[in-house]
Amino acid sequence: MSAVGIIANPASGKDIRRLVAQASVFDNNEKVNIIRRTLRALDALGVRRVLIMPDTAGLGLRALDGLRLSLDARIIEMPVYGDARDSTRAARIMAEAGVACIVTVGGDGTNRAAARGAGDVPLIPVSTGTNNVFPVMVEGTVAGLAAGVIAAGLVPADAVTYRTKRLELYVDGELIDVALVDIATSRDLFVGSRALWDPGRLREAVLAQARPGTVGLAAVGGCLTTLSPRNTHGLYLRLGAGGRQVLAPIAPGLVVPVGILEHRLLEAGEEVHLDPGNCTVALDGEREVEVGLQQTVAVRLTTAGPRVVDIEAALAEATRRGAFDLAWEAPDGPSGGC
Amino acid sequence: MAEISRDTLLWIYERMRLIRCFEDKVAELFAQGLLPGFVHLYAGEEAIAVGVCAHLTDRDYITSTHRGHGHCIAKGVDINAMMAELFGKATGACKGKGGSMHIADVSKGMLGANGIVGGGGPLACGSGLTAKVTGSDSVTACFFGDGAAEQGTMHEAMNLAAIWKLPVIFVCENNLYAESTPWFYHCAARDIADRGVAYNMPGILVDGTDVFAVYEAAGEAIARARRGEGPTLIEARAFRYYGHFQGDPLTYRTPEEEEEYRRRDPLDQFRRRVLERNLLTADELDAIDARAREAVEAAVRFAQASPYPAPEECLTDVYVKYP
Ligand SMILES: Cc1ncc(C[n+]2csc(CCOP(=O)(O)OP(=O)(O)O)c2C)c(N)n1
Ligand SMILES: [Mg+2]
Repeated sequence: MSAVGIIANPASGKDIRRLVAQASVFDNNEKVNIIRRTLRALDALGVRRVLIMPDTAGLGLRALDGLRLSLDARIIEMPVYGDARDSTRAARIMAEAGVACIVTVGGDGTNRAAARGAGDVPLIPVSTGTNNVFPVMVEGTVAGLAAGVIAAGLVPADAVTYRTKRLELYVDGELIDVALVDIATSRDLFVGSRALWDPGRLREAVLAQARPGTVGLAAVGGCLTTLSPRNTHGLYLRLGAGGRQVLAPIAPGLVVPVGILEHRLLEAGEEVHLDPGNCTVALDGEREVEVGLQQTVAVRLTTAGPRVVDIEAALAEATRRGAFDLAWEAPDGPSGGC
Repeated sequence: MAEISRDTLLWIYERMRLIRCFEDKVAELFAQGLLPGFVHLYAGEEAIAVGVCAHLTDRDYITSTHRGHGHCIAKGVDINAMMAELFGKATGACKGKGGSMHIADVSKGMLGANGIVGGGGPLACGSGLTAKVTGSDSVTACFFGDGAAEQGTMHEAMNLAAIWKLPVIFVCENNLYAESTPWFYHCAARDIADRGVAYNMPGILVDGTDVFAVYEAAGEAIARARRGEGPTLIEARAFRYYGHFQGDPLTYRTPEEEEEYRRRDPLDQFRRRVLERNLLTADELDAIDARAREAVEAAVRFAQASPYPAPEECLTDVYVKYP
């Protein structure tokens, strides 16, 4: 029986897209509820130990307050900075502690940060908003069940997880950061309030996913082709007026024309050099890096992204193996019935 | 993000530096026992007041808090008059009768620092309603603390502003503490921005140490208010460098916390980023630093040389005269 990690980001789901678009509002007490529902599902499956990331809003502490569980849930002891460093550090500590999987509660940014520390530990990414591509909109109870069947050994993790892609950002030849869904350059001089919502400011983009049915740059790519997280290709886009135009949901409620001057498929391992010059680089839809006039920017598509649990597949496999069948007993005694 | 002009960049740095110099000087004067009354210093939170006020003109209004010096300077109140007010002199912004917690200058749209925690919200609704009734396009920015967010007045104000679609932006300066109480202890919502949805207004969280983040968010919120689309709640997180008041021993804060604050210093951050992008030169910024220091020294000389109000002035401007 292995432990499970939970990383919930108090800052996700409340950026400027609530003001400039109609992005969904995801309040922190709902995140507390998600953690509770996850914990209860883990408890029901007989998981013994859960490690939770500490955070500035006390989400984990609040989730445990008054919740009667037989499992041992603990807030990790580590410094808390209130930014992405927390998720990375917590994921690393959890991986070192040997957790079977990590449930992340947040958006693309939260998963990007967790992926930096998680190594080979699979993620179960629970989305806290409609503007995310990497995590899925899933009920916390269900995410908890998926984590539970893996941690309890009811399902072999390898059978129900897949490896995702990763985009590496190089500035002046140095690896600066990684993204899970897309990397784009924007004419904005400053990171500012981070979000991207004006396609007129975008210059180039490299996508790891292109999917109709998403919101953001992945949806723009989805107007041209479909690249699932499991497909190993990527897509390069040069944006701007004067060529082909597609109608795409660039942000929640903002379905606008987006001009595409050039696009081509990328192979895994391929590196793309983006136009240099004063710009900001956005990772997974959030401006993160400010780049000066003299600096060079390159992006490499790799298949070294985090492992992700296919929640439905995990639960289907667990069901097939009788994990939820209360009458079921393993030959050598009961094994984590619910 | 909208383009930000060179002049605006210079203005932002000049205001932020002036606030920092002013507050550092006031800390020194207070420690020497030269100032009567109490002072609450704004150092560390400069990016919030300046990022918001960069979008406002003298026809727009702000309401403030007990920690109001930064708001005054960002809104263009004369620092000589401010310093004289702190010294209790007749040349002060309120003729020496208000002190630190009541500095006001209506000609600049600064409706007053406020000793009542949460007192600014209802005032902001008043000036917002005035704009709406008279059909002017002025916007009111209401600055309030994380502690003030828990006051009934702020809930009433945000509700009223939302149902009347008043041109007000509510800027919560979450500096992590109300006196010595940490915000995660006093806030059941786990995030002040979360409350926006309950008031039917956008509620967003921004980094209050990053003037560009505040500038962009405030710009969008103010434009929305001017279009008549109603209020916005912005929670800006920053740190206060000094104690709650001058003399606070700060036993509730760790050295690691302070180190983290300094790492994200709003002025250092601005300076580094505009220099890296070749938008301004070090010489220009150094000149601003020197001018700010000199302006604050001059304000102290002005205040010290000014007379106290005459005893017979004691009741002037204090009571309203009815016919
Ligand atoms: C109505 C009222 N209650 C209590 C006080 C005493 N008091 C002065 S400042 C303060 C803390 C305010 O905290 P916050 O709103 O977070 O502002 P900050 O001092 O952090 O800027 C308190 C409780 C007061 N002045 N007014
Ligand atoms: Mg406070």
